[in-house]
Amino acid sequence: MSIEITWRPAENVNDVAPGRITLTGKGPFQIGRSSGSEVLLDNSQVSRKHATIKVEGDVVTLDDEGSQNGTLVRGQRISSLQWRPGVEVAVGPFVLTYRLVESQVPIEATRLPGQDPAARPTFPGRLFDQRQVPFKEIQSSGRMTQEIEYLAIGGGNGSFAWVDHLRIFGVDKKNIRVIGIADNKSPYSKYGRLCRNSQIPDHERIRSNSISTPDNLWGFPGYASRETVRDLARGQLVGLKYVFQVFGEPTVSETYTPRLIDVFQSLDREAKRINWDEMWLAGRVIAIRKTDDERYVIAYRASSESEANNNSPDRDRFIVARYLHIATGYPASNFLDDLQKFRREHPQSTAVVNCYEPHEEVYRTLEQKGGTVLIRGRGIVASRIIQRVYEARQKNPNIQILHLIRNPVTEGSKWDLSQREVYNDTEHQAFNWPKSCWGGTYLRELDAATPEERSKMMASWGGTTTAYRDDWLDIISTGKKEGWFKVFYGNVEGMSERGSRVVTRLQGKANYQESLELVADYIIDCTGLISKIDETPLIADIIKTYDVGRNRVTGKGAEARLAGINVSSSFEIPAMQNGRGHVFASGVVTFAGPHAAVDSFLGLQYAALRSVDHLARLRAPGVSKFGPLRSSYQWLKWCANASP
Amino acid sequence: MVPTLAGRWQTRILLYVFIGLPVTFLYAMYLTNWRWPPAIDLSAFTDPFVFITAILILGLILDVAYIQAQRFRWEGDWPFAFQFFFSIMEFFAVYVGMEYFGALDYFLPDGRIPFETAAWHFTFVFVPSFIAVLAIVQIFLVRWRYKGGELGRF
Ligand SMILES: Cc1cc2nc3c(=O)[nH]c(=O)nc-3n(C[C@H](O)[C@H](O)[C@H](O)COP(=O)(O)OP(=O)(O)OC[C@H]3O[C@@H](n4cnc5c(N)ncnc54)[C@H](O)[C@@H]3O)c2cc1C
Repeated sequence: MSIEITWRPAENVNDVAPGRITLTGKGPFQIGRSSGSEVLLDNSQVSRKHATIKVEGDVVTLDDEGSQNGTLVRGQRISSLQWRPGVEVAVGPFVLTYRLVESQVPIEATRLPGQDPAARPTFPGRLFDQRQVPFKEIQSSGRMTQEIEYLAIGGGNGSFAWVDHLRIFGVDKKNIRVIGIADNKSPYSKYGRLCRNSQIPDHERIRSNSISTPDNLWGFPGYASRETVRDLARGQLVGLKYVFQVFGEPTVSETYTPRLIDVFQSLDREAKRINWDEMWLAGRVIAIRKTDDERYVIAYRASSESEANNNSPDRDRFIVARYLHIATGYPASNFLDDLQKFRREHPQSTAVVNCYEPHEEVYRTLEQKGGTVLIRGRGIVASRIIQRVYEARQKNPNIQILHLIRNPVTEGSKWDLSQREVYNDTEHQAFNWPKSCWGGTYLRELDAATPEERSKMMASWGGTTTAYRDDWLDIISTGKKEGWFKVFYGNVEGMSERGSRVVTRLQGKANYQESLELVADYIIDCTGLISKIDETPLIADIIKTYDVGRNRVTGKGAEARLAGINVSSSFEIPAMQNGRGHVFASGVVTFAGPHAAVDSFLGLQYAALRSVDHLARLRAPGVSKFGPLRSSYQWLKWCANASP
Repeated sequence: MVPTLAGRWQTRILLYVFIGLPVTFLYAMYLTNWRWPPAIDLSAFTDPFVFITAILILGLILDVAYIQAQRFRWEGDWPFAFQFFFSIMEFFAVYVGMEYFGALDYFLPDGRIPFETAAWHFTFVFVPSFIAVLAIVQIFLVRWRYKGGELGRF
């Protein structure tokens, strides 16, 4: 984990330059005027050694070092601060904020682009001002490290699915590279972190199908039969229940879902089998350009093992490739606006958390002292958080849950002749899309639809839902009966602090004037991973440089902000084609395109299969047509855990 | 399963060709005491082919009804349990049609097939077919599961 510190001139100050730096490691890092400072603020109002930053896991501490003019938060001088992302700190004429970035790619002292033309990022520099870069110039830059056929950008589950397909379709490992910025090479390092934060521990079951097997492109054996076989081998007959679940789901039995740990372990095995680690490069991709020889040049900053070497320009590199795949996942998790505002105004308060950030502390404190938790949002993550608070309640019955949702829901979404079920004001379905979106009539219809039709379909099928689980329904009905679970509807008017507690004021309704106040010790925001894909600089740059079209915005709430980039049914970005060079994408950057469930294991596999099939049609080197014989032969190799 | 109509039809025909016909051939051979060359002139040999083809044709017709029923399901799916149940119903429908309504008399010159013979025949075809749909087909045809049971490429 790294932190990216950004500074800009305070209001009414105009003679200082903004800047940004990424710091990796625990620190301490110095903020000051002296040249040894990591955050170098060259201004007379800043002391030589003004303040220090320490990073411990996700906790960032800021200590004032007895500076002359002080370190200020909302006009108050502070000596030590547990610094939250987004909270503004004033140092002399500068305002500093930071955010967590997952990167081993540290200390890139780039200035904010656009502010000062002379200070534009020096890498990749003017070379990338052109839409098509001459290969000769890349060669003569002295920074080109490799030429390769296939390059996957991201290194997460989406990249893994693509590379897995390529390898199994016949491509040699030496023709493939993967660039990622994760903490380690594992394809699920980011996914795993988001799961842990949102209270899905390793042994918990996730929201995924038995045949969504990111480690196995055939979907057989699924996780259910693997679990059954494993249990039977241990002499446990109850293991039969998993295959029975798959047989009857979702009507006769509750839908089977695999354990997180089983998914992780299966991915580890497959990663080893396809030599994933050998194809991996650690680095952050900065930009992509077409070359004049029908390929692409990728500018990236390689990670360095030794921190001393971090800032060296030697780590700015080019790699040239013919076929690209972009799967950079979610840009970042955003807070609800009113929660962000509260955090800005109350930087010392630890009472407001987003479910995707680490917040174990909340449950520990609740278990010890009891208290009231306000949960906002009604999706699957809210269900998990309620389950987690319920578990805390088993240890300390002195815990109350307030569930705040915007409006009651009594009618489920409708499509064709069917309608979605509703319990406890939440629409229920097994996964985040109706099953048919992964391989049935819905998939076919969406693929063939016009953009207008697509947005209508996605609006009906999508939206916030949770999974039907008996234990979750039980928790809520018991809680309501016993009085420790209460539901409130409404829009938030404002929030304030009362002692260490947080007061949420709800807007009054037309029929009863009084507004309602909810007082809680903690607020957990479960409204989802809201983010705009163009918040990723890499994607924003592609959209701008090559006029890549965007999909039509669809859905309600969170989903409305996610319109992805245009891809074909083969998940190619048509605007990026460069003669024999092709760029594909998958995951959430393609949202609202030809496939609904792009952000799911099976959706990523579908996208991978479509694009690798397309590569076979293009006669890309090493990619076979993958007919029945080759498929079954490769399947046997998978079973034998032999290299493809 | 999330079959499309074309997917239901194509998968049915696939199973008929690769499991239904070979199993029926072996069963017919058994019924005619493994006589070689096969006793294609005996109704004991040809009757099972008539019976299994009748199930195929009824299935192809019922698929239209199943796909309509699927529209009432929010998930747009068809649970394996339904598939299992309705396959057995199809067998009984054909058997009842043959036995009590003489629906197959034209194709069965020497009379109707005894229940036990038909039931074993069906079991030998149905069990491997069901397992194939659960587990085997996708090993050979990777695109099949994304195409609602249709064959071929994208
Ligand atoms: C909490 C949670 C639970 C989920 N549960 C399920 C489930 O049960 N079943 C299911 O099917 N799906 C689930 N999903 C959805 C989906 O399957 C996962 O999010 C999946 O990990 C998405 O893969 P991805 O490759 O698109 O993104 P990621 O796995 O996030 O990978 C993207 C990678 O790209 C890297 N990157 C970004 N920018 C750059 C750059 N410029 N240069 C280099 N690298 C970059 C990132 O660091 C990241 O490692 C879940 C998602 C979440 C958040």
